[in-house]
Amino acid sequence: MLKVPYVTNYLSEHFAEDAYATLEGYERRGGYEAARKAITKLTPDQVVDVVKASGLQGRGGAGFPTGLKWSFMPKGADKPRYLACNADESEPGSFKDRILMERAPHKLLEGILIAAWATQSQTTFIYCRGEYAFPGAQIARAIEEAYAKGYLGKRVMGSKFSHDVVLMMGAGAYIAGEETGLLESLEGKMAKPRKKPPFPAEYGAFGMPTTVNNVETFCHVPHIIGSGAEWFKGFGTEKSPGTTIFGVSGHVVRPGLYELPLGTRLDEIVFEHAGGLSAGRKVKGVIPGGMSMPILPAGQLDVPMANEFLRERKSMLGTGGIIVMDDTTCMVRVGWIVTYFFRDESCGQCTQCREGTGWMHKIFERIERGAGSRDDLEILLDVAAKMDGQTICAFADAAAWPVQGLLRHFREDFEAHVAHGKCPFPQSFEL
Amino acid sequence: MVISAETRARIDLEIAKYPKQRGALLPALHLVQEELGHISPDTAREVAEIFGVSPVEVMEVVTFYNMFYDRPQGRHHVYVCTNLPCSIRGARGLLRALEKHLGIGPGETTADGRITLGHEECLGACAYAPMMRIGGKYHEDLDLEEAKRIVDALR
Amino acid sequence: MPRITVDGRELEVSEGRTILQALDDLGLLMNGIEIPHYCWHPKLSIDGSCRLCQVEIEGIPKLQIACNTPVKDGMVVRTKTERVKRAREGVMELLLVNHPLDCPICDQAGECKLQDYAYEYGVPHSRSKEPRRAAKKRVDLGPGVVFDQERCILCRRCTRFCREVPGTGELGVFQRGDRSVIETFPGTALDNPYSMNVTDICPVGALTTKDFRFKIRVWFLDDVHGVCTGCSNGCNVYLSVANNRVYRYLPRRNDSVNQTWICDAGRMSYKEIGSESRLKHAYVRSASGSLEVSTYADAISAASARLRRLIERQGPGVIAAVASAHATNEDLYTLRRLLEALGTEAAGFAVPLGDHDALLVKAEKAANAAGARALGFVDANGLVDRIRGGGIDGLIVMGHDLLDPAYVGEPAVLSHLDTVIVLDTHRSEMERVAHVVLPVRHAAEKSGTLTNHDGRVQRVHPALEPAWEAYADGEVLARLGASLGFEGFERKWDVRAVSRELAAELPAFAGKDLGSVGELGKPLADASR
Repeated sequence: MLKVPYVTNYLSEHFAEDAYATLEGYERRGGYEAARKAITKLTPDQVVDVVKASGLQGRGGAGFPTGLKWSFMPKGADKPRYLACNADESEPGSFKDRILMERAPHKLLEGILIAAWATQSQTTFIYCRGEYAFPGAQIARAIEEAYAKGYLGKRVMGSKFSHDVVLMMGAGAYIAGEETGLLESLEGKMAKPRKKPPFPAEYGAFGMPTTVNNVETFCHVPHIIGSGAEWFKGFGTEKSPGTTIFGVSGHVVRPGLYELPLGTRLDEIVFEHAGGLSAGRKVKGVIPGGMSMPILPAGQLDVPMANEFLRERKSMLGTGGIIVMDDTTCMVRVGWIVTYFFRDESCGQCTQCREGTGWMHKIFERIERGAGSRDDLEILLDVAAKMDGQTICAFADAAAWPVQGLLRHFREDFEAHVAHGKCPFPQSFEL
Repeated sequence: MVISAETRARIDLEIAKYPKQRGALLPALHLVQEELGHISPDTAREVAEIFGVSPVEVMEVVTFYNMFYDRPQGRHHVYVCTNLPCSIRGARGLLRALEKHLGIGPGETTADGRITLGHEECLGACAYAPMMRIGGKYHEDLDLEEAKRIVDALR
Repeated sequence: MPRITVDGRELEVSEGRTILQALDDLGLLMNGIEIPHYCWHPKLSIDGSCRLCQVEIEGIPKLQIACNTPVKDGMVVRTKTERVKRAREGVMELLLVNHPLDCPICDQAGECKLQDYAYEYGVPHSRSKEPRRAAKKRVDLGPGVVFDQERCILCRRCTRFCREVPGTGELGVFQRGDRSVIETFPGTALDNPYSMNVTDICPVGALTTKDFRFKIRVWFLDDVHGVCTGCSNGCNVYLSVANNRVYRYLPRRNDSVNQTWICDAGRMSYKEIGSESRLKHAYVRSASGSLEVSTYADAISAASARLRRLIERQGPGVIAAVASAHATNEDLYTLRRLLEALGTEAAGFAVPLGDHDALLVKAEKAANAAGARALGFVDANGLVDRIRGGGIDGLIVMGHDLLDPAYVGEPAVLSHLDTVIVLDTHRSEMERVAHVVLPVRHAAEKSGTLTNHDGRVQRVHPALEPAWEAYADGEVLARLGASLGFEGFERKWDVRAVSRELAAELPAFAGKDLGSVGELGKPLADASR
């Protein structure tokens, strides 16, 4: 079980209570009141409107406006509509969905229930990464409890609305966290993302209209419905309202989870909340949003953690997975690990991604071995450019951006590696 | 029949949850692997028949996902996370030391078939690095001594 | 009908089509409008993974793949911009990173889309210093196909083909990322009646036929239009010819007949052209009873002499003809005219039956059964009864399908006949009972038309010359008629003139003569379906 966040807010304020993970403990803290309100007092469209008005953006990394996404679902009784909960959290540096599943599985279910009512969907498939055995078990237990209480299944809370939730465990593939890769995996196939069009709202799980949302995104919904859109907008920034649970890892004194409003400055999170760099070292670089997001150098940590600001620094919020690296860190080795990951996890469909991720990693291998040259740096940037924005899904972008980021800010590390014929940082972590 | 009637019954329960049978394929492969340890061609053929798909399609799925094995494994599968947050906190050194401790190379199995030691990508425990996964259990905040104790205790 | 503009050219397209489909419908794709592609194929599902067909679409910031973008009225497409050019370079360069340097030993060289597009759209030199991925080579994938896993560019055409066309699905993509490989299920083979089509659709030399392996470089080959003669489907083919020899058949696209496919048996049927059992000499049975080699002219004289004697003694009513469904419409039309001149109506055609399927393979194992019927020939089993019953004494037999168990079954049934004249492409047991044997040309060695099961009249071209004296069946029959002194057979047999006569006399064939029928054929006027 993950430790409770060091800083809590509305999402995580009761996480310290073990019973909060049970239906009884959750209800004791006001759980399922928002769902009851939505189903008995609001129309589906009204719920969508509230979520739209709140400005909630998806918390899975893409940041798409949630209310807008829900409104894409077609209406009418001619075919079933589905929701999918993306619990495949696999972005390196991210572990926020994990704590939500472990300590607040009913909050997730409540958010799902409200979303189901809003989109008039009949089933939600929770796709949980296979390695998350304990979080998955928590969800499974919560589902049982919810069915037993009549909060799922036929006639939810005594209404005419019925909704089922099915939990499926994945089997180890980062790309199953991509929206349509998830749908393919859900259908029992390889998690190879689909070409778009058609989009999931038209052709989703099992060919039916489907909306896919991240775990955390669902978890904000009961709070939004319970306390209102205006209340929600009181947290965070104008363009990025609400809180998120930042995960801080790497060379800090206090790695862990921090629920803070969007727009909190990165340096505040790293130096104040997480206690600054461990072992008395200085910071060299910080990845702000999970390993797919370009790194920021020491001088650029004054950025508010919200997309509208991070974009100016050529990075993004992603999943708020903050990875802190101190001045012993060799950025070429970081790139080696990054490119190893993307090469391993590429589904292999698109030419540029399949071959590009392989080529980039092989170049890093050669540079690390001491056989690199300055031409390689240009090739890396060129291959990254050839991958960006030209594939079936954004995985290729995610593979390209970190390399671009490393070269943008830490070219000296690379040039030193090439010039010395080996890693010039004797204290750097082992590869 | 390689797959037991019990497992078959559990597969049927999964199938009932999905609008199309094939939705239960990954859950079924997990169940089958739980029973048999890995998915051999014969097993794949049986699974294919249950779901009305071709054996090729089953093998595609088995070879695509990290958690499905098409060949026998050690009794315990120990995975050390070697992604970025863990590596910058010494995960790779720990993994190499464990390999040395068990006397095997990367991804190999001990001679007595007890342990297969490998690495995995980010497991969502970044604040508690280094860490490892053994089956459904995470072992976090490791140092080398603790890691050795844990693997030695595996029977 | 939506109107779109491609590189400034306005086109009217059909609703519901993607850009590539619309251009293909108009016959413009890679034929005026160049959008190179690998994974897309007009007869398979859309894949979208090769990324080579990216184009610029006005109003959409990112490049779009033309294979999966539906046309919309007013859409403006650009294929020649710098962005498109760079995108293509990117795809080509990345495809070549792991591709082995096999060109010198690869059968595909010269007809390889990787070579072609790398040359046309790629970068001039490779920058990769990395070791290439090692994978399986020379895999015995199945009875007809050899597979090189390293050459594969993972366009997945082959896996889609096997699932969508024969429905056998032997191939899959195992693993993921740059370790992805095409495989069969362990212990199984790529083995279905259409397996070798994967070698056509594979853009590179990953899938090649065992039969063609290392035989000849394709740039020595001329591709002559023709038709497969294995069954009445009449799949359109290219005959790949060099050195007066056919090296292979390749399917030729005809959306009204065979799409882009051909069955394996049909593909391999080119071997009958150069077979050792070709009939290479004319024969005449001597007085002592042995079959002796003869000059062609002498053989024709011997045949006409026997027929004349028979007519004098018993009248023409004892003479019959067995037509062949392998012969062309022009050959069969000439036979009709000869039978008229002879004054006999006893005729039929023999065609062996075999397996058929729901795809291309038809039960009638010859190309022109429908033509024979359209020209007034009925099935020969009635005639066979008459032969057995003793009412026939002279037989002109085209081919040896008469020996099929459905007809006489064995030559001995004919041994009581006074005169048996055989016209054939191959040697056969007919020689046991023939009095005169005359070599004729295969469909690959002459001009003519054949009518497929669907009533489609399709033309063949001579791809090669037999290395011995042989003529089209029609020409032999005409010479026989001339030798018998019949009026109208004096002039040299001209297949084009005969074809025109045929089209003029039989309304169903109007506009289907050699000069008018075109390269994709035309249906008979009364063809149902």
